[in-house]
Amino acid sequence: MAVKALYDYDYPSADRAENFGDDMLVNVMWKGNMTLCSPACFRAPRGMPWADFKAQMIDTWAATDPDYDPAAAGDWHVDDDAFTPTDGMTLAHTGVEHKGLITFRTAT
Amino acid sequence: MAKPKLSMRDRYRLLTRDLDWTPTYVDPRNVYPYTRYEGIKIHDWDAWEDPFRLTIDSYSKYQAEKDKKLYAVIDGFAQGQGHLSLTDARYINSLKLFLQGVTPLEYAAHRHFGYLARHLDGPGARFASLCQSIDELRHCQTEIHTISQYNKYYGGLHDFGKMHDRVWYLSVPKSFFDDGISAGPFEFLTAISFSFEYMLTNLLFVPFMSGASFNGDLATMTFGFSAQSDESRHMTLGLEVLKFILEQDEGNVPIVQDWVDKWFWRGYRLLGLVSAMMDYMLPRKIMSWKEAFELYFEQQMLEGLFPDLEYYGIRPPRHLDQAIAEKDTLSHQIYWILYSFSHAASFNTTVPNTEELDWMSQAYPDTFDRHYRPLWEKARAMQESGNRLFVRGLPTLCQVCQIPLGFSEPGDPATISVRTSHFRQERFNFCSDGCKWIFDREPEKYVQAWLPVHQIYQGNCGGASVPEVLNWYGIEDGVDNGEYLASRDKRAWDEWHAASVVGGR
Repeated sequence: MAVKALYDYDYPSADRAENFGDDMLVNVMWKGNMTLCSPACFRAPRGMPWADFKAQMIDTWAATDPDYDPAAAGDWHVDDDAFTPTDGMTLAHTGVEHKGLITFRTAT
Repeated sequence: MAKPKLSMRDRYRLLTRDLDWTPTYVDPRNVYPYTRYEGIKIHDWDAWEDPFRLTIDSYSKYQAEKDKKLYAVIDGFAQGQGHLSLTDARYINSLKLFLQGVTPLEYAAHRHFGYLARHLDGPGARFASLCQSIDELRHCQTEIHTISQYNKYYGGLHDFGKMHDRVWYLSVPKSFFDDGISAGPFEFLTAISFSFEYMLTNLLFVPFMSGASFNGDLATMTFGFSAQSDESRHMTLGLEVLKFILEQDEGNVPIVQDWVDKWFWRGYRLLGLVSAMMDYMLPRKIMSWKEAFELYFEQQMLEGLFPDLEYYGIRPPRHLDQAIAEKDTLSHQIYWILYSFSHAASFNTTVPNTEELDWMSQAYPDTFDRHYRPLWEKARAMQESGNRLFVRGLPTLCQVCQIPLGFSEPGDPATISVRTSHFRQERFNFCSDGCKWIFDREPEKYVQAWLPVHQIYQGNCGGASVPEVLNWYGIEDGVDNGEYLASRDKRAWDEWHAASVVGGR
């Protein structure tokens, strides 16, 4: 259903990919953890190596919870699709889209 | 011989409706251009039954009396250092939320009812809108005057207008009202007059005003009484508007139902902030959010209002089952979000004390001890070890309600709910089925949402670091934000209540 209006109603999205240049927005969720109240949203270069993304962004955020062990993070998914990250893999190569969601779990 | 006295009805007609005329040399559709494009059909504007028969004369006399009483109480309260007899300085955080979140909405309502007072075709409907427009302006002013006295002594209350436009959690109420204002006039009336001011109003006003009364805030309580008669007039108007639209044309029913569905969920999500205020920000509790929802929504609306509306073909709102299922989790999830990000908020939060935790165990027997008490105990332990929990990062926001994605899957408090849609090859994220449904109806509208987190990342909020963004928000670090126990408010409160205090501060 389109917006009803007296004129042609057509405006660009406020967060379209081009507004972020070579970067993208990526959301990350730690499944099974309630200490972190919500997933986090990061701005990162599409070509950022996975090892950097994990160490600089995910680990910093997840360490809000003092029980976080970076080595225990696994079971990685982009939405419902499992993937196995390698250190050199770029963020874009994980398959995550602009404003997409990466999830992980920690072994308990 | 004196002329016979006119009846109230005739007098009112003479004073109001007969001042209207039918345009002859301009097409009425050009005089009132906005009342057709939404698809609502009105055949007879004269069928608008004015529930109040107010005139400007009687209206202003009555309001002036109420103002006089209110300002006398505010003056007395301020001169007698009334703030010192509050239950605790912690209570003022609920006033901060109210002034930053609700007061600017009163002003927005004033503006939009002013617009309706010009643009509705019927004189009765225009006059009712005019009165409500003045009410809303008066509420905005009296709220500012009631709460401004606290600004001298406590943080977080300055710059509330600027904060409303900029700060992340205030984009929740702001975007709610912007959504209404940018809709057509009939959708706005269904959204604000009916859904908000009739269906959900008791869940907003009663908690704040009873909260004031329970916590020694005589000034805000008196504001509440002063606004109450206006609010009950707005409620009556909200129901009248809905019935008027429904009675005019059968084709209006499905359009209105869609709006009731949308605005129930929009309003309910907004009231999530009230749920956190009730359960966590009030040192002396009125009742739990769960009890309030059961009383003011499930009993009063589901058992009272909706059986009446069935006659018009209107059923209870879509996604209501999810709101009912959330009543055991809502306040805990929202306050946990506020607690986790209060370094970037213009109020203070803290871990509830042991009595409060016990109260919540009783109020929420199915969820609290299992899911939320352990969280608060962990937060308390972190705080005691000098590591007060503040999230080191920014949250994912819902594209529609703009609240961080901190709500759980229905019936499963341990799993966060994430919904997505794609529109023109772009992905959008939502907190719930309700918000996703609202987006999918009108994606062209919500793709424009000003999401605070994404705006920070686009460089539109003063800079990339927390201090730069706080500065742009107008939040003074260490005065307005953060942990209550380490706050300036708490320190000052303790000094004022020390055994042998001299003077003010």
